[in-house]
Amino acid sequence: MDLTVRIGDVTVSNPVGVASGTFGYGSEYEQLIDLKSIGALFTKAVTWEPRPGNRIPRIIETTSGLLNSIGLANVGREGFAKEKYPFLSGLSCSTFVNVAGNTEDDYARTVEWLDEHAPLTGYELNVSCPNVKEGGLSIGGSPRMVEVVTRRVRAVTDKPVIVKLTPNVTDITEIARAAEAAGADALSAMNTLVGMVIDVDACRSVLPGKTGGLSGPAVLPVGVAIVYRVSRAVSIPVIGIGGIDGPDSALQYLLAGASALQIGTANFVDPTVTDRVLEGIRSFLSHHNLTAAGEIAGLLDR
Amino acid sequence: MEHFSTHVVHNAPICERYHVMKLGWPPRFAPPLPGQFLTIQPPPGTGALLRRPFAVSDYDPLLSQIEIVYERRGSVTRHLAACRTGERLDILAPLGRPFPEPTGNARPVLLAGGIGMGPMFFLATSLLTRNKNPVLILGARDSTLIPELPLFERIDIIIATDDGSRGLHGTSIDALHSFETDGNDMNTEYFACGPMPMLRALALHADQTARKCWVSIEQTMGCAVGACMGCVIPVHGGNGYARVCTEGPIFDSREIAWT
Ligand SMILES: Cc1cc2nc3c(=O)[nH]c(=O)nc-3n(C[C@H](O)[C@H](O)[C@H](O)COP(=O)(O)OP(=O)(O)OC[C@H]3O[C@@H](n4cnc5c(N)ncnc54)[C@H](O)[C@@H]3O)c2cc1C
Ligand SMILES: Cc1cc2nc3c(=O)[nH]c(=O)nc-3n(C[C@H](O)[C@H](O)[C@H](O)COP(=O)(O)O)c2cc1C
Ligand code: FES
Repeated sequence: MDLTVRIGDVTVSNPVGVASGTFGYGSEYEQLIDLKSIGALFTKAVTWEPRPGNRIPRIIETTSGLLNSIGLANVGREGFAKEKYPFLSGLSCSTFVNVAGNTEDDYARTVEWLDEHAPLTGYELNVSCPNVKEGGLSIGGSPRMVEVVTRRVRAVTDKPVIVKLTPNVTDITEIARAAEAAGADALSAMNTLVGMVIDVDACRSVLPGKTGGLSGPAVLPVGVAIVYRVSRAVSIPVIGIGGIDGPDSALQYLLAGASALQIGTANFVDPTVTDRVLEGIRSFLSHHNLTAAGEIAGLLDR
Repeated sequence: MEHFSTHVVHNAPICERYHVMKLGWPPRFAPPLPGQFLTIQPPPGTGALLRRPFAVSDYDPLLSQIEIVYERRGSVTRHLAACRTGERLDILAPLGRPFPEPTGNARPVLLAGGIGMGPMFFLATSLLTRNKNPVLILGARDSTLIPELPLFERIDIIIATDDGSRGLHGTSIDALHSFETDGNDMNTEYFACGPMPMLRALALHADQTARKCWVSIEQTMGCAVGACMGCVIPVHGGNGYARVCTEGPIFDSREIAWT
């Protein structure tokens, strides 16, 4: 049974990864799961400078979901290289650094610096960030900005570059094509959906920043539809993310056209979810007499 | 830190709205310490997503059991209240940093506000066992929220209620003041868990009287293992925030940027 996935020049051991921001830098889950069993680990966002993150409260549960406003809280590139890199570099799974920024320069200079001081498997660009030069509009909402950011990063590294798409756009396939054209090796779909919860008694938003990002089972159908559309619009691998909490939801993504997966919020609920999903994929393959995870998408009724 | 399925050994109300639950704790696991907490995965049918945190309120190495005291509040705690002996729950524990040892020969004064009593019971029991002579001040809204426990027979205890229906008429902080004006204003150290206004008032009093003060803080949690940065509170120093699940839930009150 072949469970491997190719991302650029890299072979990832299996399609089950853990999503940025939900798995810290790996060490947090070391006592709870065998990190060798996951295909790829995506770190919390790393930015050029450290960021304290947003005001509190930062998370609130919604119906089958989680609304968060963490605000890219991270130790910055130097803190990452000093405090997080030694542990990550010792792991046998693939490790991708999720990189965020507020200008096109931010992404390229951070990747270039990390390539020299803290090289891991590759990078995932979190483009769901406001562009400070363009009045705070999301970088990931503009095909042109996504193309520029991706091209700039492509020029400074030979490692795999994955662009993580935001669902909060008009036509996600247009953004996906822009990233592919600029040299992305794969696409992650999707980041969180913008959401808001209002405390009716207090007549105010629960999150101080008013809106946050919605994740968890509530967003599953949105993610599956996005992966279905994006995987038909590009020819690079698509990594399905959003609401995966077990074999069924994971297989929906693989049937929709995802080459790999990332699990986020569900790690909080059940740290062994990655094992359960991998097991589920294995038994689905044997049940359908398939030999490779990559063949699953072919089963979808057209 | 262990992730395991265990069974309910005992589950019963101890007063209005509060219940006590004992759970099997495999003897091969390291013992939990006072101040540490566990999380419970929401059982199917509760409609809840995230694991719920509860402070450990006792640990019995002989019977291999841990205990929590919980308040019926929403879907998960209502479900817990209906759990029968033998039912299984998915637990992550022990989590967070425990209370430190009292400094030198300071007398530990333990303040519990409302459902914050759980971790204080555990600390009280542990200090009693080691002859540290603790005082327990228990504050509640009214007498219906004060349980009767064997622990109360063995410890110096002061009870206070907001409406005066039991013990001293006032808050746990009022009770602390009267305890101190009664000639107990000596070498003491504070340990507390309760609502934020109570902890804030205690921190201020500790500052003014130059006493050490340890508080247990609550914050909504995502992962409870330090990975998501969701559970932070404002602190002095560092980047201005600390994670309650890993740097806490026990903090030196001077570290916290009280707002
Ligand atoms: C470190 C820590 C220790 C705790 N120890 C105890 C304890 O010993 N006994 C006890 O009864 N409770 C304790 N709590 C609070 C407990 O976690 C919540 O009461 C519980 O999650 C409510 O779940 P629910 O589904 O019944 O209610 P929900 O319907 O989820 O919520 C009801 C109310 O509970 C509060 N709440 C929900 N989630 C949390 C949370 N994660 N943290 C704080 N408040 C929350 C909210 O104000 C909400 O309005 C602790 C919380 C933390 C963070
Ligand atoms: C607490 C939290 C923090 C997150 N932080 C990041 C981040 O730093 N960078 C990023 O690209 N995505 C971040 N995400 C988004 C997740 O990686 C993922 O795309 C999203 O949660 C959907 O997947 P899920 O439903 O499985 O959680 C975060 C999500 C959560 C819940
Ligand atoms: S709950 Fe995730 S860091 Fe504390």
